[in-house]
Amino acid sequence: MTVRTIDVREKVMARNNEIAAEVRQRLADAGVIALNLVSSPGSGKTLLLERTLAAVGEELGIAVVAGDVQTQNDADRLSRHTTRLVQAVVTNGACHLDARQVSEALDAIDFGVTRLLIVENVGNLVCPASWDLGETAKVVVFSVTEGEDKPLKYPKMFREARYAVLNKVDLLSHVPFDTSRALANAKSVNPQLEFFFTSALHGTGLDEWFAFLRSLVGAGLPA
Amino acid sequence: MHELSLAMEICRIAEERVGAAACAAVVAVGVDVGDDAGVEPANLEFCLDALLREPPFAGARPIVTRRPGDVLAVSYLEVDDDRPDD
Repeated sequence: MTVRTIDVREKVMARNNEIAAEVRQRLADAGVIALNLVSSPGSGKTLLLERTLAAVGEELGIAVVAGDVQTQNDADRLSRHTTRLVQAVVTNGACHLDARQVSEALDAIDFGVTRLLIVENVGNLVCPASWDLGETAKVVVFSVTEGEDKPLKYPKMFREARYAVLNKVDLLSHVPFDTSRALANAKSVNPQLEFFFTSALHGTGLDEWFAFLRSLVGAGLPA
Repeated sequence: MHELSLAMEICRIAEERVGAAACAAVVAVGVDVGDDAGVEPANLEFCLDALLREPPFAGARPIVTRRPGDVLAVSYLEVDDDRPDD
C-alpha cells in the first residue's frame, strides 16, 4: 500500500464565499442594499417584514427573499402585503440559506425597481451565522420571550450581526425579561451592535425601524 | 443538519480535488476545525464518516483536528493509488 498525501488547504466555505462575493457585486452594481434577517424560530421576523412591506415596501422599493425549511407559508404571508416580489426559497431540510440560493433568487428580481433587498433566513441562530449570502449587513431579531442570555448562547450570530431588533416588547410586563441585561450580554459579544426595540404586533418602535431603513436606502450603509 | 451540510461540502471539495474516479482511492480526509468555527467536531466527524462510506467514496476515514480560531478547512487528503476498486 502506497499512500500519498495531497495538500489541500481549502476553506470549506470557499465556494459559498465566492458566490456571495458575486452576489455582493451584483447588488452593489444595481445600487441595492441587502439585509439578511436572522433569528430563532418564532421571534417575529415574518410579522416584522409584513409590517415593513405594508408601510414602506413601495416607498423603499423592497424585494424579499424568504427562506424556509419546508412550505412557502412565510412567502405567502408576505405576498398578501405587497405587490412587490417575494421570492420563496424552500431549503428542503437545510437549516440555512446559502449564497447559491440567494444568487438564483436574484435572477427573478427586477433591479430597476428595487432599492432594498431583505432576505428572511431560516429560523435558526446557529447555522446562518456561518453562511455569507452577499448581504450588506445581518440583522438579528430576538424577542423578550426567548431569554436575555440569547447573545451569550449564540455569540457567533450576535458577533456577525450589525443590527439587532428586540421584538415583542409589548410582552415585557408579562415575562421575566431583563432588557438591560440582554443589552449588556449583546454588547459583551459585539460592542458595535445597534439596537431597535419593537412590537411588530402592536407597532411599537416601528417608526424608528422604518426611519432606519429609509436612511439605509438614502445613504447606504457606513463602511 | 449544519454539520451534515458542511460534511457534504467537504466531500465535494475532496471529489473536486482528486476527480470522481479516484474517490474510492481516498483513505483519509483531514479537516481542521477551529474552536470558534461554530462546528461541533464530533458531529462533523460522524457526518463525514457516514458520507465517506458512500460512493463515490469507499470508506475514507475523516481525521478532524481542532485548531484555535475560526478556521474550517480541508487540510489534506490521503490517497492509496493501489487500493483495489470494488
